[in-house]
Amino acid sequence: MDDFLAADNLSKRFDGVQAVDSVSFAIRSQEIFGLLGPNGAGKTTTIRMLSTVLAPDGGDVEIGGYSVTRESDEVRKRIGVCPQELALYPELSASDNLVFFGRMAGLSGREAKSLAADTLERVGLADRAKDAVRKYSGGMKRRVNIAIALMSRPQLLFLDEPTVGIDPQSRNHIFDTVLALRGEGMTVLYTTHYMEEADRLCDRIGVMDNGRLIALGAPAELKAQVGDPATTTLEEVFLNFTGRSLRD
Amino acid sequence: MRLLVRQAFILSAKDMRVFVRDWPGMAFALILPLVFVFGFSLAFSGVGPDDERLRLAVATEESAAEESAGGLSRQTLDALAASPETDVREWDAGEAAAAVEDGSLDGYVLFPGDFTQRVLSGGGAEIRVMLAGGAPPETEAALRGLASAVAGRIGAISLIAQGTAELAGPAALDLAELGRLAEAPPLISFSIERVGSREAFNASNFTLPGYLTMFVFFIAAMSAEAIARERQTQTLERLLANGARRPAIIFGKMLASLYRGFLQLAVLWPAGIFAFSIDFGVSPVAVIGVSVMMVVAAAAFGVMLASLVGSVKSATSAAVFTSLTLAPLGGCWWPLFVAPEWLQTLGLFTPHGWANDAFNKLMLFGAQGADVAANLAVLALFAAAFLAVALLRFRSAPAT
Ligand SMILES: Nc1ncnc2c1ncn2[C@@H]1O[C@H](COP(=O)(O)OP(=O)(O)OP(=O)(O)O)[C@@H](O)[C@H]1O
Ligand SMILES: [Mg+2]
Repeated sequence: MDDFLAADNLSKRFDGVQAVDSVSFAIRSQEIFGLLGPNGAGKTTTIRMLSTVLAPDGGDVEIGGYSVTRESDEVRKRIGVCPQELALYPELSASDNLVFFGRMAGLSGREAKSLAADTLERVGLADRAKDAVRKYSGGMKRRVNIAIALMSRPQLLFLDEPTVGIDPQSRNHIFDTVLALRGEGMTVLYTTHYMEEADRLCDRIGVMDNGRLIALGAPAELKAQVGDPATTTLEEVFLNFTGRSLRD
Repeated sequence: MRLLVRQAFILSAKDMRVFVRDWPGMAFALILPLVFVFGFSLAFSGVGPDDERLRLAVATEESAAEESAGGLSRQTLDALAASPETDVREWDAGEAAAAVEDGSLDGYVLFPGDFTQRVLSGGGAEIRVMLAGGAPPETEAALRGLASAVAGRIGAISLIAQGTAELAGPAALDLAELGRLAEAPPLISFSIERVGSREAFNASNFTLPGYLTMFVFFIAAMSAEAIARERQTQTLERLLANGARRPAIIFGKMLASLYRGFLQLAVLWPAGIFAFSIDFGVSPVAVIGVSVMMVVAAAAFGVMLASLVGSVKSATSAAVFTSLTLAPLGGCWWPLFVAPEWLQTLGLFTPHGWANDAFNKLMLFGAQGADVAANLAVLALFAAAFLAVALLRFRSAPAT
């Protein structure tokens, strides 16, 4: 399998904090890649650099063969980003939100409307499409947040903690959606603090701590490094690599 | 470039969609200013003069000999006295000076003794506005208006005189003929007649432009808060990752402020005309022009503010703080011409001040469009400077 994304020695420092420290990894085409790590590990900062909105201090990334730093326009045509925050307009309807982001990504009004309808169907919000997002439940808002990321028809989808604070039903719906998208050829980078979620979804996992990538491999490989792969949980793997001390 | 424009328009259309769903925001932008105008027009209604029209006093120091030879001041005074539209009373120069001294006269326009001579020499004569210390602003404005109207006309005559002299030699200079020029109808038809009339002192004529300016800037400044919130929720980063251009975001945000400002003009000016009987003066086009340029400066001010603040909270504080300080400094709460000198000077540093100065000239003192050209230019400069700061400093990342 080809690498769709290749990060090489990525670094970013914020005044006094080395948020990302010489991180290198690759994501294969049509892979669901999990980026795990405690709070402040540098996951979001990494995604912001991968998605062209934050310039790295050092290193570079190639996505679909294009450099994030030098060919950001080409990269932007190939990615969709679902930020950790609900990056949407609560006053507008789900449909208006999707159409707006679709048009900003270059779709015509007609294309955007039709893709928005399909996408809302896919995330199970077709019947509430015209309601203002502010009136939605937490799980519905999370689904709109993901749906918006699909409006640029991405080949690579970044999902930064897409399932925080929602019920098992919404969460399962999101899993199904992610798996279906992968089935259609999409590559996914997924961050989460829920280990069983990563175990279930991800083909490979990278564990970050203090800005560094400290483990990389398929869930089973990582478990084997720690103990008996049949009985070890990913949570045990995680705590083994990152230690038990509290983070900021 | 096409992409940039397209994105800016899509973005601004989205912002307007959000705005029209925001009823409290709409009421704040469109109704609150009218409440203020209503209240403060009542409070300021005593600022105007008590009598029907201002009585303008004029005097000349030119000697009888020169006058009989056709002195320009004599011609002018006679023409003014004959005009049915102005209430000009001629005083003896000495008596007028004494009356101002003892407080029985607020002020007068004085032609100095060498007036005619200096006009004809082409060296530039002066007309003096003599004011008592406590003269009310409307008297000063009226006398200044009279003086500048006369000066403008005399200036034209002086040019004609010089031109004639150039062509035909000095011998062709004929005082009597120049006098006739001065007497010609245009001399008397200057716009001074508005100044003393009662409707010119409808207090809404300065409270409405004042509060319009304040609230256009306020709403534009609040866009900084909306932009800061979009940074916080990462919609701006999401747009960038989606292929949106940074300048498109800035221009889109500015466009949205322009729409909101134009909506405010479209509601508040007609409300002023129909509900408060305001008067656009002799050049309504200039009033519209100044208000449009004021909206442009305000929109640029909003994106500049957004580029200078970080968090949503600091954006709100900055918007409220700048609105509540620039408005009084810039004459939104009381006319600058009644304010002390230092405040008038400070007003020059605010776009509000230049906008209000233009509105006052046009709507209170009968100025022509050309008289506010400088105000328009300064407002355009403010807009360009604000926009430049925004383009240099605008960030899409959330505050840290
Ligand atoms: N804009 C910024 N300015 C300063 N420091 C920052 C900034 N963004 C992130 N950091 C710091 O960089 C480090 C990594 O933050 P990041 O948000 O990437 O972590 P994360 O792994 O996404 O954490 P979480 O699981 O809490 O979302 C943290 O110490 C954070 O405080
Ligand atoms: Mg994060």
